[in-house]
Amino acid sequence: MAVPLALLAAGLLSHSVPSKAVAEKSPLDVYHSTIVPILEDHCYECHGDGYDKGKVAFDRLETDEQILEPGLWMRVLLNTRAGLMPAERKPRLSASEQQQLERWIKYDVFGIDAHDPDPGRVTIRRLNRVEYRNTVRDLLGVDYNTDHEFPPDDSGFGFDNIGDALTLSPMLMEKYVAAAQAIIAEAVPTAARAPAAQVLPGLAFEGHNATEKWGKRRLVFNEPAQVAKTVKTALAGSYRVKLELEVNGSYVPDPGRARVVAKVDGKTVLDQEFGYFDEKVFTFDSTHPWSAGDHEVRIELTPVVPEGKKETIIDLFVNKVTIEGPLEKEHWVATRDYEKFFPRAVPAGRNERRAYAAGLLGAFARKAYRRPLDDEDTGARLAALAEATYTQPGKTFEQGVAHAMAAVLASPRFLFRLESPVGNARFADVDEYSLASRLSYFLWSTMPDAELMQLASRGELRHQLGPQVTRMLADPRAESLARNFTGQWLQARDVEGIASNPRDILLRDAGEESTLKSLFAAFKAQDEKTAKELFQRINDVVKGKPELEKSTRAAMRRETELYFTYVMREDRPVTEFIDSNYTFLNEELAKFYGVPGVVGEELRKVTLPAGSPRGGVLTQGSALLVTSNPDRTSPVKRGLFVLANFLGTPPPPPPANVPALEASESEFHGREPALRDVLKVHRENPLCSSCHNRMDPIGLAFENFNGVGMWRESERKQPIVAEGSLVTGETFNSVAELKRILVTAHREDFYRTLTAKLLTYATGRGMEYYDVETIDQIVKKLDDDGGRFSALLMGVVESAPFQKMRTQATMTVSN
Amino acid sequence: MSNQFSRAVERQLSLSRRQVLRGLGACVALPTLLSASPAFARAASKAAPTRMAFVYVPNGAIPAAWWPAGDGGADFALSPTLAPLANVQKQLQVISGLDDVSANPEVDGAGDHARAGGTFLTGVRIKKTAGSDIRAGISIDQVVANQLGHKTRFASLELTCDVVRKSGECDSGYACAYEYNLAWQSANQPLAPEHNPQFAFERLFGDGSREQRVANLKRREYEQHSILDYVLDDAKALNTRLDGRDRQKLDQYLTSVREIEQRIAISKSMDVPNPDVDAPAGVPASYEEHVALMFDMLHLAFQTDSTRIATLLLAREGSNRPFNDIGISSGHHDLSHHKNTPDIMAKVQLIDKWYVQRLARFLEKMDATQDVDGNSLLHNSMILYGSGNADGNRHTHVNLPVVLAGAGGGAFKPGRYVKAKDQPISNLFLSMADAMGAQGIDKHGDSTGRFA
Repeated sequence: MAVPLALLAAGLLSHSVPSKAVAEKSPLDVYHSTIVPILEDHCYECHGDGYDKGKVAFDRLETDEQILEPGLWMRVLLNTRAGLMPAERKPRLSASEQQQLERWIKYDVFGIDAHDPDPGRVTIRRLNRVEYRNTVRDLLGVDYNTDHEFPPDDSGFGFDNIGDALTLSPMLMEKYVAAAQAIIAEAVPTAARAPAAQVLPGLAFEGHNATEKWGKRRLVFNEPAQVAKTVKTALAGSYRVKLELEVNGSYVPDPGRARVVAKVDGKTVLDQEFGYFDEKVFTFDSTHPWSAGDHEVRIELTPVVPEGKKETIIDLFVNKVTIEGPLEKEHWVATRDYEKFFPRAVPAGRNERRAYAAGLLGAFARKAYRRPLDDEDTGARLAALAEATYTQPGKTFEQGVAHAMAAVLASPRFLFRLESPVGNARFADVDEYSLASRLSYFLWSTMPDAELMQLASRGELRHQLGPQVTRMLADPRAESLARNFTGQWLQARDVEGIASNPRDILLRDAGEESTLKSLFAAFKAQDEKTAKELFQRINDVVKGKPELEKSTRAAMRRETELYFTYVMREDRPVTEFIDSNYTFLNEELAKFYGVPGVVGEELRKVTLPAGSPRGGVLTQGSALLVTSNPDRTSPVKRGLFVLANFLGTPPPPPPANVPALEASESEFHGREPALRDVLKVHRENPLCSSCHNRMDPIGLAFENFNGVGMWRESERKQPIVAEGSLVTGETFNSVAELKRILVTAHREDFYRTLTAKLLTYATGRGMEYYDVETIDQIVKKLDDDGGRFSALLMGVVESAPFQKMRTQATMTVSN
Repeated sequence: MSNQFSRAVERQLSLSRRQVLRGLGACVALPTLLSASPAFARAASKAAPTRMAFVYVPNGAIPAAWWPAGDGGADFALSPTLAPLANVQKQLQVISGLDDVSANPEVDGAGDHARAGGTFLTGVRIKKTAGSDIRAGISIDQVVANQLGHKTRFASLELTCDVVRKSGECDSGYACAYEYNLAWQSANQPLAPEHNPQFAFERLFGDGSREQRVANLKRREYEQHSILDYVLDDAKALNTRLDGRDRQKLDQYLTSVREIEQRIAISKSMDVPNPDVDAPAGVPASYEEHVALMFDMLHLAFQTDSTRIATLLLAREGSNRPFNDIGISSGHHDLSHHKNTPDIMAKVQLIDKWYVQRLARFLEKMDATQDVDGNSLLHNSMILYGSGNADGNRHTHVNLPVVLAGAGGGAFKPGRYVKAKDQPISNLFLSMADAMGAQGIDKHGDSTGRFA
């Protein structure tokens, strides 16, 4: 099969890349003739002639193996490209020296063949809980809440879709089997005909002291309330009334109780006292002989107040009431979705039934496994499983088939993404079905849709990558990429759960931290008078400030996701992730940021006023909050965040015995210093300075944003100074200037970092030294195309790691 | 104080209702979930099994406040941090001299938190990798479970109080698996723990109402059996096609399926206990409640002899949780690097003590529960509580803060402060395995012999 990428890559690089076959000199010859002189001129001052800073001394590389060790040269490549080496004030490599060094590292040391780069090896990936949920939704139309039901997935390389890091334990396997049964029970009808059902949504119930929350009818435990709804039946007969109620106390356990009575046409069907539950659904069934006409379902709530306890915050939700009937068989109707799963009547004969089941189950398995069945017997084996159930007394054919469908969802072929190569070349194309899944799980976090599967079955997908990617990005499912990639690259996911104490942060900004301590002391001492005074003082600080509500945190996460989606869908330059004059806000978030003129709950694109420090993801609440400590900003974490996720040069982790910043405060003898001053003391320690000189100036540029991302002019009553300079020499006076520097002087660093992150997410494995060439090729395309998102995305999709796999033959050799 | 005022405090300071009430001196007693009901009916004369649990607390402890004064022995006064354990002191061994040197940096550099967590029960150096080829070792609980697990309905139980995970990378180039999993079934298979007390309960005793639980559990097992048979065949067929690490993944699948099948088989020959309590209502919003419920699940699992081996991760190593309930708004990990600043050390010690208080409640309950042989459940158990970090400030891994509660059915003589000679904590684990009745385990991780 033709591989456009390989041709493209060859064309692109033919004039600059020496093909291995025609290389005249061996890697070691080049090292001695070309590389050593460069190292002598630029590196030996610290890494030779008796010096071995960072335990690197180039003139002590003795054996050929030591000289050609990829790990060392990866560091050289990274540090020279980022301008970190040669270190400050030492002469830089010239452009041609840098190019000679890079070529030697990539093609000689790493042995990369630019025409056929190593795609790396991806361990088969288990569906993570996001992918599982989406796949089940697309396969069966069931929304199974995996966040609630499954344990969180272990992540690796910063992402939770890494094959090697996704493990499976007996407990998770048990959950998979239980989930399969629950999902099938919800999706698949187990009889052809059933009583008609009418669903009355909770909001259809109206009455006294009832409100709405989350689209449901809400009664509260401490107020007497009643609601009712009348239904009309056309036929007389037996009717089943199914009540679905939910107790929801979104707080610490609460002693409140309430008595709930439900009546159908005045007859009591439920009379029960309820206590606290965090979130629990109850169902109650009763059957009634009804005439044709009107019938009333009524629900009454009476508070049962425990002694000494007057308020509670427990909700009783009326989720829905389902009326089934008439229950008499002659009135039954065709089951909903029946024909979707069982397109024809169940045959009578044993063999015919078996054949019918085998056909149905084979087709289902093919869809669920996202590829053709590699075993002709699959349908028959599943049919045997179904038969073992439906031949039991009291079981229907449909129940048997459903049981076998549950087995499909518990199969490793469903739970893992199995891939196959085409042919047995060392680095072979993955087959079209594998490619379809790679695309859909990358862009949609779900299984391929019918169109992808059809193209794959015709062998046409690889030829239509461009149009397919365009189509897929326009689909709402592409928001999964925004959610899951930014959720982890920028940790936007964490903003909803991370511990934060906005009150402490505001008090610190105002220089009133000690007041809180005193308040706690007054509480302890039962000193109401002092407590009230101190409370007033605290109140004065926090009064009028927007609060960090659950909804604010959610809006912050959405802001980042919508921002990414916009850049992706509108094909904007990726530099706008760092620097732009717009963001996405609703009224609540705009108030939180201090941006005027935004009204309403919906987040929408807002062009920021001239001179606004917002714009770009770095000054969004999500990034600012996840890089803060619970009670203050952390310029170190913010600096590290930018270095690791935007510039690709995270400093090494701190050594043991590293003091917390608070510890440096003791040097100020009781005065409450600003963080900038504390960090300065911290940096005086030479052990700390080499890394903190890189992190701190970047982080301090964001000090105008407090620990929850609000704008502030002062910290501990001292005005904020946001100026600084990078170790690479650029100076700035504000966060806006820093952003400009990042997208100009450091644009290529950013392109490389973003590419590596996206490629990690797309391929489900960490980046290795042999990926350098692939990343460079994508970065070149990206730069040639003005940084447009589509160049990045297509670059990833067309790359060898995405298109190909090592075959087993290779694995045996390399493992 | 007035009700209106307390509401204002609650709203403005975003304290929980409970904290406000406590602050105002009007703490309401919350209904306890589980009463200390007697052990489940078995012949009173029966010999009782020995149980063991490992409870992990992150970031070490302030050593000066942890260690009791004196030269050790039976006559010792509890230290400030351990003071909450006064009611169970006679069931307690405070043990010094235990090391986890596998967590030292050596050539791997930073990452002491990941290492402390990943080595604690495995006793081996863990491979420094951010995600590929994760490798630790089998943990001691699983070593024992492999031998004795078939005697109970569940070979072992893995619990955690960490609900939310930080996204992005974990500690210094180590994969997150090392921090979030205490139990390892093999070098590359961590056993993900359950964080939802309701699910833990339903897994042990079935779901639904008290009357229906046992029947629901039996039906669930019955229905799952044929599904498991089918997928096992499916996986075996697939296994022949895979290689290397792919095969490793499928092996995890096969092992998991076989273990469930085995459990179902065992379960058929044993009665499913039906404790006279309601299932917990999901994950509570308060961490304190969550920890209490998880300890309740552990207590219940041991009391009903549903398992004899358990691990409970109170919080992942390196946890940066603030403790607003006790007036600490900074994160635990941030504070643990205190550089001997008295103010900050005082806060860390408060956190250390807070955790010990939670342990104390659990141990008291274990002590108040009578086991089938007439002894207390605590007497028949070994509850090891500790951290793979000693001094969180300096990331040391020698002289770990460890207490061992319970007598292991008489194998240990509690009520002492044991100043042991320096030795790997794995030595103690071996002795605990002996007390469990495990046979022929000569070595675990870096052990150099039995605890002495």
